[in-house]
Amino acid sequence: MRLFVIYTVDGITNGAVYAAVALALVMIWRATRIINYAQGAMAMFTTYIALIVIRHGAPYWLGFVIALAAGLVIGAATERILVRPVESRPPLNAVILSLGVLILLEAIAPMLFGGQTQSFPTPVSNIDLVAGGTTLDFSPFDLFTVGAVLVAMLLLFLVFQRTTLGLRMRAAAFNPEIARILGIRVGRMLTLGWGLAALLGALAGMLAAPSVYLYPSNMDEVLVFGFTGAIIGGLESPVGAVAGAVGVGLALSYVSGYIGSDLAPLGGFVILIVVLMLRPQGLFSFGTQRQV
Amino acid sequence: MLEISDLTVAYGGVVALENVSLSVPEGSITAVLGANGAGKTTLVRTISGLVKPRHGSVMLGTQQLIGRSPEAIARLGVGHVPEGHGIVSELTVDENLRLGGLWRRDRADQRVAIEEAYELFPPLRVRRSVHASNLSGGERQMLSIGRAMVARPTALLLDEPSLGLAGGLLAQIMQRLATLVTERKLSVLLIEQNARSALSVADQAVVLSLGKVELRDSAERLAGDDALRHAYLGF
Repeated sequence: MRLFVIYTVDGITNGAVYAAVALALVMIWRATRIINYAQGAMAMFTTYIALIVIRHGAPYWLGFVIALAAGLVIGAATERILVRPVESRPPLNAVILSLGVLILLEAIAPMLFGGQTQSFPTPVSNIDLVAGGTTLDFSPFDLFTVGAVLVAMLLLFLVFQRTTLGLRMRAAAFNPEIARILGIRVGRMLTLGWGLAALLGALAGMLAAPSVYLYPSNMDEVLVFGFTGAIIGGLESPVGAVAGAVGVGLALSYVSGYIGSDLAPLGGFVILIVVLMLRPQGLFSFGTQRQV
Repeated sequence: MLEISDLTVAYGGVVALENVSLSVPEGSITAVLGANGAGKTTLVRTISGLVKPRHGSVMLGTQQLIGRSPEAIARLGVGHVPEGHGIVSELTVDENLRLGGLWRRDRADQRVAIEEAYELFPPLRVRRSVHASNLSGGERQMLSIGRAMVARPTALLLDEPSLGLAGGLLAQIMQRLATLVTERKLSVLLIEQNARSALSVADQAVVLSLGKVELRDSAERLAGDDALRHAYLGF
C-alpha cells in the first residue's frame, strides 16, 4: 500500500510535466495542424538559458521567468520565420520542418552549453516532507510542479475562454478563412499561439530538469510521453490531453515501480501503439474527424 | 459605392471572370445572377481579398481594395456573408456575433452593434449561449448576416443566402435586409442562383455567364420581362 501511494504521487508529478508538453502540442495542432516535434528540444534550450542565468548568480525565479520568456520568443519566431512559409504546403512539409528544428537545436546545444549532463536546481526542497514524525511521500518541489502546471492551465483557460484575444485565437484556429474576412489578423494569432505553446513547453523543461537532469536530448522521452498523452486525449481536446498525460505518468510509474524502471520507456511506447491501433481518434474524441 | 472595373480572375489557366465591371451605389442592392460556375462566388471572394485577380480594380469609396489582405479589406468596411453561412460552429452564437466587431476600437459601440443584431434577428437572442453547430439553416443565415453587420460595414457581400432555406423564412430575411440597406445606406452585392428571390429585393441585376457580364438591367424590368427571364434565368 505504501509503495502504491509513492508510485501514484510520482506518477501524478511526472504526469503534470507530460501534461504541460501535451497541452503545448495540442495548442499547436489545433492552430496549425502540425505536430511540433521540436517542442521538447525548444524546452531543453530554454532550460539551458535559465541555467546560465542562475549560474551567474541570479535567483532561481529570474531564471524561471527568463526561460518562459525565451520560450515565448523562440516559439513565436519559429512560427513566423520557419512555419509560415510552408503553411500552405502539404502538412508533411511542416512535420519534416519541425523534425529539422529538433535536430538543429540538439546539435547546437552541445556547442553552446556543452554536451555533458548537468544537475539543475529546484526553487524549493526536493526532499520528501515530514509531518509529525512520518515521511509524507511528496516533496515541496512535487507540490510546486503540480501547482505550477495547474496554474498555467487555469491561466490558459481564462485567456482562451474569457478574453477577446482568446476568442480571436480560437476563431483563427477553428476557421482561419472566416476569421480573416471578419478582420482578424490570423497570422498574428498563429504566432502568438506558437509562442504560448513554447512558453508552456519551457515550463515543462524547468520542471523536468531537476529529475531527468539537463543535457541536449533530455526532453526526448518527456516529449514522447507528452505526445502519447495528447494522442490518448485525441489531439483536439486540452482536457483530454491533460487527462491522457496524467494517465501516462501513472502507468509508467506503476510499470517502473512494480516491474522495473528499465521498462518504463518501453511501457510508454506500448501504450502509444495500443491506443493508435484501437482508437486512433483518441479516447476523448467524440466528434467526427476533422479534415486536415 | 462599390465599384468593380475590368476585373479578370484566372485559376491556373482557367479564366473564371473576364473583364467584369459593375457598380453598387449606396443604399441599393445589386443582384448577381447566373448558373453554377458562372463566376459568382469568385467575384465576392476577389472583392474580399481571398482570391487575387489577374487585373482590374475594386474601389470602395476612394479606397482601392485590390492588393490588400482579407483582414484589411474587412477593416475598411466590407462585410462578407460567405457561401454556406461561414459561421464558426465550435463557438456560441454570442461569440460568433462578437467576432464580427473585434477589430474595432470602439468597445461600447461593439456592444450596441451586437444588441442591434439581436434586435434584427430575435430568434438569435434566445439561442445566444448555444453552440452555433446546433442552429437551424435559417438561424445560421441570420447569424452570418448579423455578424457581418456588427462590423458596421459600408458594403455587404452576400453569397447565396437562399441556399437551404425555406421560402417563407427566406422572404423574411430578405425583407429585413432591404430595410437595413435603406437605413444604413449599405451597398449590397447579392449573389444568387435563386433569381426570383433576389429580384424581389434587388434594385439592379447583373447576369453572369461563364465569367462574363451577359446582361445588366434594373431588377424590376428583368423580373417583368418574360422573354428576358426565360432567356437568361430559366423561369
